[in-house]
Amino acid sequence: MSMDRREAIKRTALIMGGLVFAPSAMGVLNGCKARPGVDWNPEFFDNDQARFVTVLSDIIIPDTDTPGASAAGVPAFIEEMVFTAYDEDARERFLSGLEAFNDLAREEHGNRYLDLDPEVQFQFADSQNRLAVGGEHLDEPGTAFFLVMKELTMMGYFTSEIGATQTLRYEKVPGRYEGCIPFDEVGKTWAT
Amino acid sequence: MNLNLKAKKQNTYDAIVVGTGISGGWAAKELTENGLNTLVLERGRDVPHGEYPTATKEPWDLPRNDQIPHEEKKHYEKQLRTGYTIRESTKHWWVKDTDQPYEERKRFDWIRGYHVGGRSIMWGRHSYRLSDLDFEANARDGIAVDWPIRYEDIEPWYDHVERYAGISGEALGIPHFPDSQFLPPMELNCVEKHAREKIAEHFDRVLTIGRVAMLTQPHEGRGACQYRAKCIRGCPYGAYFSSNASTLPAAERTGSMTLRPHSIVNKVMYDEDAGKATGVEVIDAETGEMHEFHARIIFLNASTINTTMIMLNSRSDRFPDGLGNDSGELGHNLMDHHFRVGANGVFDGFEDKYFYGRRPTGFFIPRYRNVGNDRRDYVRGFGYQGGASRQNWWRGVQELAIGRELKEFVQSPGNWTMGMNAFGEMLPDHDNRMWLNFDETDKWGQPIVVFDCEFKENEFKMREDMKNDAAEMLEAAGFKDITTFDDPGGPGLGIHEMGTARMGRDPNTSVLNEWNQVHACKNVFVTDGACMTSAANQNPSLTYMALTARAANYAAEELKKLNL
Repeated sequence: MSMDRREAIKRTALIMGGLVFAPSAMGVLNGCKARPGVDWNPEFFDNDQARFVTVLSDIIIPDTDTPGASAAGVPAFIEEMVFTAYDEDARERFLSGLEAFNDLAREEHGNRYLDLDPEVQFQFADSQNRLAVGGEHLDEPGTAFFLVMKELTMMGYFTSEIGATQTLRYEKVPGRYEGCIPFDEVGKTWAT
Repeated sequence: MNLNLKAKKQNTYDAIVVGTGISGGWAAKELTENGLNTLVLERGRDVPHGEYPTATKEPWDLPRNDQIPHEEKKHYEKQLRTGYTIRESTKHWWVKDTDQPYEERKRFDWIRGYHVGGRSIMWGRHSYRLSDLDFEANARDGIAVDWPIRYEDIEPWYDHVERYAGISGEALGIPHFPDSQFLPPMELNCVEKHAREKIAEHFDRVLTIGRVAMLTQPHEGRGACQYRAKCIRGCPYGAYFSSNASTLPAAERTGSMTLRPHSIVNKVMYDEDAGKATGVEVIDAETGEMHEFHARIIFLNASTINTTMIMLNSRSDRFPDGLGNDSGELGHNLMDHHFRVGANGVFDGFEDKYFYGRRPTGFFIPRYRNVGNDRRDYVRGFGYQGGASRQNWWRGVQELAIGRELKEFVQSPGNWTMGMNAFGEMLPDHDNRMWLNFDETDKWGQPIVVFDCEFKENEFKMREDMKNDAAEMLEAAGFKDITTFDDPGGPGLGIHEMGTARMGRDPNTSVLNEWNQVHACKNVFVTDGACMTSAANQNPSLTYMALTARAANYAAEELKKLNL
């Protein structure tokens, strides 16, 4: 049975009417330059937290030949995760971890993270990532926080339309399965 | 008086089917196609085929990466135990535990969906025949009671339901793992094919693609699989078997089906003089009003626990302990499959190979333990479900890279990995049971189900093999970084509840006969999981389909012969 017209229209409507994060829509319309400010209206983060999440997510996944984290709506995704998916303990850990990360930045570079030069912001994030991935200093809340932030950023980005379809590859309706083909025929990692 | 008679006539049918899931849908189709005017009752809301609200949502259409808000979790305390059922895209298919309470003397994971189609919308779609290795098992091992049927009794009915449902898979000619009427199989990927070859070299074991009720070509008016892997949300193409896409529309087309959603069956009414059931008492889930419906035959297909609940709640002078419970076995011998044990490994190689599409199933390794000359320190056996894939962007989280380097890194897939999860047979045991607490009632005034059920020694012994064999096969196939896992969870987690109204030859030790009739009340048939005398290790739905079609056609013939 081919899908009837009513169903087809309904499906299209679902796709078109689906949730799109505002920054993502704006990013597409404005040619993708949507940082470092706050491009969504944070409901729960205060202004500094929102800017922090925007800046750090873009350090983790920057604009390159494809848009980066904030252009894909990642800061809004992180806010929604932290304030609606997390339980209270996890939320507290996230928010105090954010402060601890700033404290580490102050210790090393004399300033909170937001106020560092972009180059220093990258270097500091990179060093925290190396410590965290290496399994070192994970009892340090600021370092552990970085890994949470990295995971949230990647999760938000690669499940966004930009991340899934531009940076990675995604087919809404593949229509067939082939179990063993040259990688070049796909070209990029499947988003899912 | 006249008014009452008229009301009764309006509420009288040839047959009543209670439940619209896998087995209820089949009962509806077979009974109506035999010309019987059939009332089909469903306790939940209607779900016409195609009305699957999240079926075409993409990852970015779903908030929180498809997680539900923390605030909502309190409604799904037990339904959340699977880890995969309660998502933003699927939560509407599952009951809220806050609305549908039950008691646990021991942990039991009762994972349910109440709506037209039941769990035929969310099922795993794996479809395997049982064989005489299974039907003879209880008699051979001296456990519980013997099945009253053998493979030859059910074989033509497997054929019958498979031709309609559409089962894709590979014919293997293994006697204890009988082939179905197959549509073309889905394809194994590179690493699964490699593993299949290596496992066959080292062991007398076969890795094959899952046999699944999914269409690899258009079939019976339904569309072929589009490889989106969003099955659990409902398939707009009708590409997998569900009551909504398949059996209920067929029953509807006969013009003989009346479908009544929001109808909670409270009890089966029994007429002592006639020695028969006369109908069912129904609570309207929306209004709370009580209605009576009458019929010559009644099919209970409410799902294992709910079917037995209805029977236990159907108390009369003749059946003080529940309809058909002369044996005292009603509610006992509760089974599930035990699983969540196996191994994972990483494969070096095939780095230049990938796949296209999201194949919504994996491979299967049929049972090989306690088959032929193989003898273990436990009885029965297990099969494996598994799959190979390539690591995706997740691997970037634990990588040294961030920034541009991270983005580029995850654009190439990582290593191939493969996992396998064993599903083992759970023995029927009189002590594993459910019953009703009549002192506590839910919001419709129905008694609360109580579970007292656990995995026992045979299951735990089997799990050693289930774990070690998986690691052994991965090793033989050249995988590295092999890790094993073993976390049984509670019974019920397999969502394959079985038993509690078992079939058997002797009315003194079983509830149902060889035609799924209640021994002591022949116009009531039970053809859902409650009827299972043993669990086997295979996913059970295909067997429910076949038993239902067989019983429904028998019932229709007996009605014509005026034997019921």
